[in-house]
Amino acid sequence: MYQSPSELEGIMIVRYFILSILLFAFLFPRICSATVSALSEDDQMCMNCHNEEQFIFFESGEKLSVRVKLEDVLSSVHKVVGCVNCHGFTSAEHPKRNFKTRKQYSSFSAKMCTKCHVSHKTQIHKKLMSHAPAGTVCTDCHGSHSVRFAREMSAGNRYCLGCHSRELVMKFKNGEKQDIQIDEKILNQSVHKNLSCTDCHFGFSAEDHPVRAFKSKRDYSIAMSDSCRRCHFDKYTKTLDSIHFNLMTQGNLSVPVCTDCHGAHSILSGRKEKLSNAKKCGQCHAEIYRVYANSVHGGALISEHNEDAPICSDCHRAHDIVDPKTLGFRSIIPNMCGNCHANKELMKKYGLSTAVVDTYLQDFHGVTLKFYKQQGNLKPIAVCIDCHGIHDITKARGDGEDLIKANLLRRCQKCHPDATPNFPDSWISHYEPNFKKAPMVYAINLLYKIFIPFMIFGLLLQILLHIWRYAVNK
Amino acid sequence: MKKQDNEYIKRLHPLRIKEHWANAIAFLLLTVTGLSQRFHDYELSQWIIMNLGGIDAARLIHRYTGILFTLLTFQHILVASFGVLFFKWQPSMVIHKKDFTDVIDNLKYYLGMSEHPARCDRFDYKQKFEYWGVVVGGLLMIFTGFMLWFPAQVTRILPGEFIPAAKALHTNEALLAFLVIIVWHVYNAIFSPDVFPLDTVIFTGKISKARMIHEHPLEYERLFGVTHGDSLIENSESSPAGVGETEQDP
Repeated sequence: MYQSPSELEGIMIVRYFILSILLFAFLFPRICSATVSALSEDDQMCMNCHNEEQFIFFESGEKLSVRVKLEDVLSSVHKVVGCVNCHGFTSAEHPKRNFKTRKQYSSFSAKMCTKCHVSHKTQIHKKLMSHAPAGTVCTDCHGSHSVRFAREMSAGNRYCLGCHSRELVMKFKNGEKQDIQIDEKILNQSVHKNLSCTDCHFGFSAEDHPVRAFKSKRDYSIAMSDSCRRCHFDKYTKTLDSIHFNLMTQGNLSVPVCTDCHGAHSILSGRKEKLSNAKKCGQCHAEIYRVYANSVHGGALISEHNEDAPICSDCHRAHDIVDPKTLGFRSIIPNMCGNCHANKELMKKYGLSTAVVDTYLQDFHGVTLKFYKQQGNLKPIAVCIDCHGIHDITKARGDGEDLIKANLLRRCQKCHPDATPNFPDSWISHYEPNFKKAPMVYAINLLYKIFIPFMIFGLLLQILLHIWRYAVNK
Repeated sequence: MKKQDNEYIKRLHPLRIKEHWANAIAFLLLTVTGLSQRFHDYELSQWIIMNLGGIDAARLIHRYTGILFTLLTFQHILVASFGVLFFKWQPSMVIHKKDFTDVIDNLKYYLGMSEHPARCDRFDYKQKFEYWGVVVGGLLMIFTGFMLWFPAQVTRILPGEFIPAAKALHTNEALLAFLVIIVWHVYNAIFSPDVFPLDTVIFTGKISKARMIHEHPLEYERLFGVTHGDSLIENSESSPAGVGETEQDP
């Protein structure tokens, strides 16, 4: 399939000639009506016979239908080329030829393509042809009588899949390999099923398939995740604030990018599968995932498939994941827990009190935290996780109760070093004071609730009587 | 009668006046920094705390003012005790049975069931009520306040529940004290028709003879005897409306 430079030049001239004819055909679409009359006289002659079902037979015993569907020809971009230009003979001179196999015939026919098209020698075609199984010819991908504009073929993803549904491997400079065979089934299950390949693989098109060289598989993933921001800009800007992005700018390339969590061709809605979402974080944060899986929340999610249970992203967020060791993160913990634990409807399902959040917020530490946040000078102060645990949150009743009590004293002593075992009891454990729990507090509050209005009302009455007496006497 | 109007009788020692204002400042600071903590959800509270320099600053001011208030309260108790025990001061703030009957008498008078208001001594029952309110309430606030300041030390001896109980006492008592002061004390010192626009005794330490005869007739009699008090007899026996007139005519 090699031509000398002078031959190539000749091919180019023919090519431009044909392209100008194509342009002509495009400008006068009336020519394209679906009748034989739309074809040249010579071609009409060919169609007289090839309109009907008939076969040629090969020595191997294979047969091939030589019927040409009129609509294929008419819809083809080669419609104006004429049978003779590809097949090399006319109805008047119809040589009898013998081919051993069907394959031999098709590779013989495909040589005709290279008379005009040279792109098999450039770009991705060249690369592909060097890897392609022996005997792969143009028509295998582009079809024969139905040849179309490449851009028309790319309207769907079929064009790309024409190659990428085959076994293909991409190689990186460091020797790593990436399978780039795409399963159409997976593609169609993705939320992106209505997008075309080139929406994400921008820079690529039917005409243009740049050959790029990436250092490593990881480099490629990171580069590709840039595609996502073209549509999901809000999420992208959020990730700029995340600890992952921050680490990446410091040169850590193993931090996750979009596709590490969302997948590439199999992208699913991020909200649907809670458990698999949590597991994704576990890919890197394995130890934390293990602890989480044993917690009251992780346990409910994993063993009971309880979708109410929070997963990693419910507290750490999905895109703008901040460093959880900062005071800023610590300061929003009561709000995070409150997202569920102050939700009456949700807590009712599990017989949990929603007073837990408010009792904290109204108490010394809650008030302090509130003002620290308002002041913008954060200092560590006890929040939910200090007593209840972080990833290892346990039930506050039953077995967990003693554990929390023990946590409590240890946590108290961090800031109140001289705290004794009595000290944690000064926190009345999220209960609104009542007669059973904290009777003293309850009694004092009740007493004042009666006494204050009684006193103030009495004094006001005296004042009014005094004024009245004064007015009467005057 | 006209002559008496310009006559003033010394009522308070200058130290007592200074004591009052020191107490007033402490009280004001304590209520501002304390109630804004109790009612932290209100915007005004947040404005106050933020302008004081944040919650830690507000708490610091509250606690140090608490120390000032404690010192004032204890010096008062000591001075008063020493005065009564060793310097023959009249224990004029001691509550007697008469104070209770005075309340009833005065109420009867207000309701028109009696011709005369209660005849009071150096301090009438309203003043005794406020005085003991400040002393007893103050001691309670001091006690519970220190419990809240040093919870770890307190729970070495007492069960943990005493801390929230102390908080309940401290905050409720604070609200009560605040309301009594702005309702009762401010009325009696400023808005009461007897003193309006301002009771000046706490500034000058002197009371007009007419007012003294009207408000503290027993003390007047004790000090000046009945002989000095021909006008007193006239006054106390004349209709209360007459007394009102003298008040109206400063």
